[in-house]
Amino acid sequence: MTAMTARIKDSLYPVTFALGFLLLWELAVRLLSVPMYLLPAPTQVVSAIDGSLWSHTLVTLGESLTGFILANILGLATAVIFVHSKPIEKGMFPLAIALKTTPLVALAPLLVVWMGTGYTSKVIASMLICFFPILVNSVKGLKAIEYEAWELFSTYKGTKSEIFWKLRLPTSLPYIFSALKISTSLAIVGAIVGEFVGANKGLGYVVLVSSYHMDTPVMFSAIIASALCGLLLFWCIGLLEKKVIFWTRSEDL
Amino acid sequence: MTTAMKEQMDSASVQNPGTRETMLSLRNCSLSFGNVPVLDKVSLDVYRNEFISILGPSGCGKSTTLRLMLRLLSPEAGGEVAYSSPDLSLGMVFQKPVLMPWLSALQNVMLPLELGEKKFSKGEARDKAESALRLVGLQDYLNHFPHQLSGGMQQRAAIARALAADPTVLLMDEPFGALDELTREKLNFELLRLWESPETSLSSIVMVTHSIHESALLSDRVVMMSPRPAGVTDIIPVALPSPREAGMEELPEFHRTVKELRKRVKHL
Repeated sequence: MTAMTARIKDSLYPVTFALGFLLLWELAVRLLSVPMYLLPAPTQVVSAIDGSLWSHTLVTLGESLTGFILANILGLATAVIFVHSKPIEKGMFPLAIALKTTPLVALAPLLVVWMGTGYTSKVIASMLICFFPILVNSVKGLKAIEYEAWELFSTYKGTKSEIFWKLRLPTSLPYIFSALKISTSLAIVGAIVGEFVGANKGLGYVVLVSSYHMDTPVMFSAIIASALCGLLLFWCIGLLEKKVIFWTRSEDL
Repeated sequence: MTTAMKEQMDSASVQNPGTRETMLSLRNCSLSFGNVPVLDKVSLDVYRNEFISILGPSGCGKSTTLRLMLRLLSPEAGGEVAYSSPDLSLGMVFQKPVLMPWLSALQNVMLPLELGEKKFSKGEARDKAESALRLVGLQDYLNHFPHQLSGGMQQRAAIARALAADPTVLLMDEPFGALDELTREKLNFELLRLWESPETSLSSIVMVTHSIHESALLSDRVVMMSPRPAGVTDIIPVALPSPREAGMEELPEFHRTVKELRKRVKHL
């Protein structure tokens, strides 16, 4: 009970500050008569929200989530291969780094040329940007086993697969989760970059089109929606992390 | 060489002409890590029903000696690690508890029983683990996770894990080194009690330690090792009566042994 009230009290601070900020913003826009195309007041942003924003949000969320999930499955699988084969790791890691250092913004037009303006090019963009964090962190995590733990398994004749499932994988979970948390916001970035280049739906499309029309309130609503998508994913992963890695007290955010 | 022949040789080579039965022996074991020689012709017999301490300066290769005994490492050509029987059961307790943080105390103790060729059913493993935890006094903490246990309790769980597999020889690498003095003293006597207990199949204990006091109090023989490359310089018998009990630190024989050990440590 007391823990509950303490948590409510804790969340009271950010909520108060956010409301105060919105109020200041509203007042500043109205008192200084800032033109709407430069900076709309919060109320103007809210009144610009309609049903289409929701469907565009779902499109972007769907693209990012698909890319996020595929990238993490693929990245973890690649990490497992790397950890078990030194030659493959040595040969392929530089390629992974090259992929990472290539700006996604530069690749996005190519993806659209290859895969069209539909769903796939955004999913791939999202995948590309999420792939590296999970790869690097899971390689690190899978190798992070204590030497003595390895000796323990060897003493009792643990097989390679037992060492993997009962030691390596659980040991790497905290590393994997920190990659997942980093990737949540990246996944949204990937989808939106893809939408900028060529799309007819999604939040990136809304931002681009509203900028052509100087429809700043709609643009704001799409920006905020994309931020909220990132927050939602981050929050879900954080919740999952607390359930799965119960043995470490992870710092909030 | 076939495995059968090798096993025969292993057991034959351990036969001891003396009165005491040898459980495990190192013969002429040398070992280098890269260009760094760590062990230099170490020979040591571990007899049935004895407690051996290995004493020596830090980093001299005491832990490496234990790893040779476990056959986690192999000696260089000319050296040999022989077991009294091919299925001699060894247990190992590390300096750190090395518990899996995602497993409960019970699951941690069950872990070695469920590795490799499955010798036990889930139920049997559970029973064995429970009785091992009872032996070390953790019967009320079966479902606690390592982060919910104190350092001493974690090390007790690690001892239970080693005992659960019914080892004949228990190897311990500074098992209480990371614990405070009071807990350490308590666990020392608990260890002796476990060793003497008819409930365990434990016959011999080999313990690496930094503590002269501990080695004199617990062991029948103290093996002194020199700095790197380490060899066995002396084996000193401790003439205290057994079973060892609290208060034996007051006996003149205890002081004589401590003094003797201290003198030899200085000469290393």
